[in-house]
Amino acid sequence: MDVFLQQVVNGLSLGAIYALIALGYTMVYGVVELINFAHGDVYTLGSFFSLAILAALGVSGELHGAALLGVVVVTVLAAMLLCGIVGVLIERLAYRRLRNAPRLAPLITAIGMSFILENVMQLWRGPSPVPFPPVIPNPGVTLGGVTVTTKEGLAIVLALGLMVALQLFIANSKLGKAMRATAQDREAAQLMGINVNTTIAATFLIGSALAGAAGFVSGVYYGTTWFFNGFQAGLKAFTAAVLGGIGNIAGAMLGGFSIGLIEAIATQYIPAGAQWSNVVVFSVLVLVLIFRPSGLLGEALPDKV
Amino acid sequence: MKGRKPVRALRLGLLAAVLLVVPFADHNNAHVDFLANAGAFVLLALGLNIVVGFAGLLDLGYAAFFAIGSYSYAIFASQQFGLHVPFWIMLFVAAAIAALFGILLGAPTLRLRGDYLAIVTLGFGEIVPQTFLNLAQYTNGPNGIGSLDQPSLFGRPFGFSATPYYYVVLGLIALGIVAARNLQHSRLGRAWMAIREDELAARHMGINATTAKLSAFALGAAFSGVAGVAYAAKLDLVSPDQFGFNVSVLILSMLVLGGMGNVAGVIVGSLVLSFVNSFLLPQASNIAHTAGFTYLDFTNYRFMLYGVILVGMMLLRPAGLLPSAKRRAELEAALTDPALAAHEQTEYEGAHAR
Amino acid sequence: MPPRVFTRVVALVALASFAGCASHSAQTTSGGSADKTIEIGIDLPVSGADASTGVPTRNGAVQAIEDANARGLPDGYTLKAYDLDDAPQGTHDPGQGAQNVRQFVSDPAVLAVIGPFNSNVGAAEIPITNDAGLVQISPATTNPGLTKGAAARKLRSSHPDVNTYFRVNATDDRVGATAAEFARTLGLSRAFVIDDDETYGKGIADIFAAVFASHGGTVLGREHLTKGQSDYKALLTKARALSPDVIFFGGTTSTGGGQLRRQMVDVGLGKLPFIGGDGIAEAAFVQAAGSAADGTYYIVAAPQTSKLPSAQRFIAAYRKRWGSDVGPYSANAYAATAIAIAAIRKALIASGGAFPSRAAVLANVRNTSGVATPLGTIRFDQNGDTTNPILTVYEVKAGKPVFVEQVSRKTS
Repeated sequence: MDVFLQQVVNGLSLGAIYALIALGYTMVYGVVELINFAHGDVYTLGSFFSLAILAALGVSGELHGAALLGVVVVTVLAAMLLCGIVGVLIERLAYRRLRNAPRLAPLITAIGMSFILENVMQLWRGPSPVPFPPVIPNPGVTLGGVTVTTKEGLAIVLALGLMVALQLFIANSKLGKAMRATAQDREAAQLMGINVNTTIAATFLIGSALAGAAGFVSGVYYGTTWFFNGFQAGLKAFTAAVLGGIGNIAGAMLGGFSIGLIEAIATQYIPAGAQWSNVVVFSVLVLVLIFRPSGLLGEALPDKV
Repeated sequence: MKGRKPVRALRLGLLAAVLLVVPFADHNNAHVDFLANAGAFVLLALGLNIVVGFAGLLDLGYAAFFAIGSYSYAIFASQQFGLHVPFWIMLFVAAAIAALFGILLGAPTLRLRGDYLAIVTLGFGEIVPQTFLNLAQYTNGPNGIGSLDQPSLFGRPFGFSATPYYYVVLGLIALGIVAARNLQHSRLGRAWMAIREDELAARHMGINATTAKLSAFALGAAFSGVAGVAYAAKLDLVSPDQFGFNVSVLILSMLVLGGMGNVAGVIVGSLVLSFVNSFLLPQASNIAHTAGFTYLDFTNYRFMLYGVILVGMMLLRPAGLLPSAKRRAELEAALTDPALAAHEQTEYEGAHAR
Repeated sequence: MPPRVFTRVVALVALASFAGCASHSAQTTSGGSADKTIEIGIDLPVSGADASTGVPTRNGAVQAIEDANARGLPDGYTLKAYDLDDAPQGTHDPGQGAQNVRQFVSDPAVLAVIGPFNSNVGAAEIPITNDAGLVQISPATTNPGLTKGAAARKLRSSHPDVNTYFRVNATDDRVGATAAEFARTLGLSRAFVIDDDETYGKGIADIFAAVFASHGGTVLGREHLTKGQSDYKALLTKARALSPDVIFFGGTTSTGGGQLRRQMVDVGLGKLPFIGGDGIAEAAFVQAAGSAADGTYYIVAAPQTSKLPSAQRFIAAYRKRWGSDVGPYSANAYAATAIAIAAIRKALIASGGAFPSRAAVLANVRNTSGVATPLGTIRFDQNGDTTNPILTVYEVKAGKPVFVEQVSRKTS
């Protein structure tokens, strides 16, 4: 039982990172119906930006107290901002002109952007995994044989917090309403005086900023980062978004945690499970799409023509 | 048209003659080897073109069928299980096995929207090589299966020279072109086109969309199975790391570059990309170094270039180098005016009706 | 219209192929004896995910060539790296490897090939270099079947009795066996064995598990990592539930060694010894594992490096030349290239300044003796494997590798 609960904790903290990435996928897909394939690489870029900011701040070890809080806040916000700008640039450069083209076209440019970003990161910080300073001390709280470390707690709390903030923002702010309107009917939104270009750019800004936050968390959490991390993390996060119901913020969160849990549980209970966890995750994706294509929380989507 | 036919036949004959004498004229077996490998990718591109270009179904895991074809040969024609099915028969067997998997994958997923289908195929593309890797007791895991049976013709084994494989691949491509062209203009081909352009309308016109899509998946996979057998036999080895997502994207890029839906375009696209990717780019650094630019290392920028091709082509020439008229209408009209797209499409179709 | 364009383009490609051929033969006439340039082919994976280990390896080989040119060769000859990538799609591709090696074979100026990195690429290349009698020295392929036994003879399809494939690294069996015996001498009896599911990692982990069990230990579990994953906590939690007293890892830093060690602390296994092979014997591992690196043992198939000033010199020179730390196989690549260059040098002296033959270079590599490399002095056995029987065990203490013991292991 302890082992099971510990695996649940492992799954949730892993899932938190997927969920943060999935939020960006789901927002972009919800508004422009585009699988932003480069999103996973924006997430990796977030960890590289964090690394550069930490280096600029002169941080190389664990911090405590006010210094810790200050550094974390500054680094996360700066990484989010930088990633947000990259996201907007990608949209402007690679997607905007193709907004009315067949769906295949922007998906292909997205794959192209993903390759470009990976190559840029490889040239920037080299092809090998790059160590990441620990920054946050990592004592654990043990309750009945189950341990939750500070970093695991941080990942889960940050993911939930950002989801709630995003949910509130989309429900209440003017920009959030514009996003929803654009998602429902772009032309009608335009006729109603909504600046569609700005709205879509804002969607990319926010989604990519969340990926930037995830990048920081993963760097601190795993202690290394690598230019190629984004591919698989992005794939899993997209799976999470689909599982939760694409376009649905709470769904992305639920999907992310579910994928993390599935991975942890599969690793534990399947013999030689670590090598099968990806197969299990993608099989779940296929099954969900077959039996409940709208995802766990999604509404049935009409087939847009 | 009639007057030009002999000219065209002459050109084709000339081309065939050139292709046939290449191994005799070019004593560098590396070039023949390159052409044989590139040829296998032409076959793959022709197959993917059926799925993506003709039927408009985005398949991001096409390399999985390539893996299935290659592993079929490794399993049925090697010491691994003591089975030794001849190469020529395996071409058909692997085509059938791959087609079967195409149907198995396609049947439950075809009612999904386009980009969901893309993700399911992507997932499938991840699962298949991982499974071949994991089933180490049958497939030797990461080491792969080596020492496959050598094909032989009239009792003469192929040996390790690339030349016989070049001719085999050339023959397969010729058959593939004929098959693809006939399919394109068949009843099924027209059904694909109708579905691609408007599935709802196609269904209302009485087209059985499910059967048509499944046939596209199965036929596309069959090409891949054949290519897999030829490639595995030539390499004498199959291992799970040959079939990753990058391979699927590479084949897709060949279509994008050459022109989706157009057989000639797809062939050109795949030849050009193979040339750049496995010949020009690796050599470019050496050429630059010889010229004194020792700091230039093009291989470090490979994926950048790759990405730039994908983004640039889609933005500047979305229908490819050699566009099919219909696809061009779909892809380019949308860039300028979405409302015009449908109108122009019908005009183009009228102009090109046969 | 399309068929016409198609004809044209195909004709163009065919022409380009001829042109390539022509330019190459032109290059050979001028690049051969007249020009006094000898080429060394380098075939390694340097794109995409494989770049992480491939690029530092290639750098090591290039550095050896640069050093040799700085020293000078007899009769005014110079060396040139003919550098090809076998990972055009981002992972090593046997098909591309075979094509690259054919490229080397067809260029008479190429007298030796360094590479490949991966065993399956090696399996695709050996028949070709064997047929051409072109010597090939790999810095990293570890699959025993490439050089030993019936499998190796089958790969040498043209001349089964002539070996053209050499390697400077130890095969999987020696490192894995030494690690297992060492673990037993520490009194460890319950091992959980993890590998990265690549040829090298799985190879040494298989041997470790077999030898550990045959020496009275228990292998509690056997798991394989998935490429590109970075979260191993679920896996380690599973291991912890079986209460092991040692974790063995078959793999490299870039396939997860450092992160695995770091996450052992997170799941409460930080006190356990962590044992691995040469794949984690590098500064990058200590960096990636951070403070968790202590308590790691690794087995290096070479004598103690601090006793080898050449290794220290190499590491310093590498950093100066490339501005980054050495990779796990940089020194191997340098050593492999140095051996090839020594053989070429010897052939040049014997030929009295005429362009050496591939056969002479091959023979000289086979009889290599006394070439000082960063790995020490290397010789080859009749299979083409290094005879260097010394393996060294290190322990990471306070972030630094500390010598534990040296083990002598004759090749079987």
